[in-house]
Amino acid sequence: MKLVPSRPEVEAKAAPARQPAAAMIEIDRVSQVFRTSGRQDHLALSEISLTIEDGAFVSILGPSGCGKSTLLYIVGGFVSPTGGVARVKGRAITGPGPDRGPVFQEFALFPWKSVLGNVMYGPRQQGVKPTEAEAQSRALIEMVGLKGFENFYPKELSGGMKQRVALARTLAYHPAVLLMDEPFGALDAHTRTRLQNDLLNIWERDRKTVLFVTHSVEEAVYLSDKVVVMTRSPGRIKEIIDIDLPRPRRRTELLLDPRYQKYLVDIERMFDDTGEDELRP
Amino acid sequence: MMSGRALLLRSAPWLACLGLLGVWQIGALILNTDSFPTAWEAARAIPSILGDKESLINILASLRRMAVGFSIGVVFSIPLGLMMGRSRGVASFFNPLLMVIYPVPKAALMPIIMLWLGVGDVAKTLVIFLGVSLPVIYHSFQGAKAVEEKMLWSGAAMGLSAAQRMIRIVLPAALPEILTGCRTGLVLALITMVTSEMIARQSGAGNILFNALDMGQYDTVYAMIIIIGAMGIGLDAAFENIRARLVKWSEPGFDIPLSFA
Repeated sequence: MKLVPSRPEVEAKAAPARQPAAAMIEIDRVSQVFRTSGRQDHLALSEISLTIEDGAFVSILGPSGCGKSTLLYIVGGFVSPTGGVARVKGRAITGPGPDRGPVFQEFALFPWKSVLGNVMYGPRQQGVKPTEAEAQSRALIEMVGLKGFENFYPKELSGGMKQRVALARTLAYHPAVLLMDEPFGALDAHTRTRLQNDLLNIWERDRKTVLFVTHSVEEAVYLSDKVVVMTRSPGRIKEIIDIDLPRPRRRTELLLDPRYQKYLVDIERMFDDTGEDELRP
Repeated sequence: MMSGRALLLRSAPWLACLGLLGVWQIGALILNTDSFPTAWEAARAIPSILGDKESLINILASLRRMAVGFSIGVVFSIPLGLMMGRSRGVASFFNPLLMVIYPVPKAALMPIIMLWLGVGDVAKTLVIFLGVSLPVIYHSFQGAKAVEEKMLWSGAAMGLSAAQRMIRIVLPAALPEILTGCRTGLVLALITMVTSEMIARQSGAGNILFNALDMGQYDTVYAMIIIIGAMGIGLDAAFENIRARLVKWSEPGFDIPLSFA
């Protein structure tokens, strides 16, 4: 990676740890064409190839319309690619499954179910006994900081609380991969920061594979092991940057860390180079 | 203890009713014609209708047809509406058909239906069924169409099959809209019930009303209008009560009485 300052001592230390970790997700020359009536076809993703290792926290970063969410939906099995193939644990993805748990920006909670009902939904669907599912769900609700809100309905919760419920609901059925689609995009800055910190704490416990879509450079660098920078029209991978910052990460420490600052500046420059902006057709 | 304001809000619907009766009474006294009895004269005729066994059998027969027509209508319309809402193919097949049927007054079909099915219960129940179906189909359709795609994806990721998503996600998510359609359907069931009995006179509340009209018994006519109106209000209030319970999760806080429930 030419963008990362070459620091031999880090590389030397990192090298032995980088065993050929098992690939959790392989994206192999995936393309997506959206056919629109009237206008010409839109190439949303062009021959994307990407491998995500088991236990890695990988962010996909890019401007609106670069196809980053579409890529996540393809891995989720919600959208079929028009070209190429995506695999999870070596098997081609043909549809959604409980091994890949989505968390959406829109929360997508079941409004007719209480917080507890939402979190229990997945385990119950998987055939876990009601008492067992309830005990597990209550523990998860406590873990995401919503103890005492078990019997509330989604309409009674704030955006941040809804996203906590959505995270707990997805964690409840033990997916191997978390697919997070701009999960904190609809939240105010303060709530967003708190949820990022809590997500990292939760992730540190079992280090699930996470694919995290965002358009915030800070968020991507703060959370990830790897940042995949995408450009738009058509959606392509511009760079893959390994974020070599110690874990567990503390935001207050990182903000003063010159390495963190360098990552931010390097990535910001990449968007400057390509003249990416929202106004381009 | 209720505050004065709360008490006023609670009693507002009843005050409105009393006001209407008052205007009726005064209007009838001023006009002073045979064909417009006073509210008091009409009200006095109610006990004699409800005390008459023959009349009661008629009214109960009406209610039975209405219940059957409404039930079949709901059971048929909700699944159809939901499927239309989730499948473009189903929607584009049924939509034109419904658009043709929608503006036709269902009672206008009564003569044709009588020709096929006679003047008995089947023909009248069929007309009620037609009256109920359209609003329920339409609202179920709109409700199912508005279900958030991501909610269905979340269900799919948990392992719900397409059929399970329909019953366990689309149905509950669309329920507030469906029940709004059912409420309209219930009122339409009452209307088509009375009109069907106007056209095919044999039995029923409508039969009593129009026979009385033919015989110039105007107090009975108005008493029947009050009875049918009260049945409508009662059914609507009962339904609204059930609806509010079922979709409490979707209601924003709203404490102005919108009905008598």
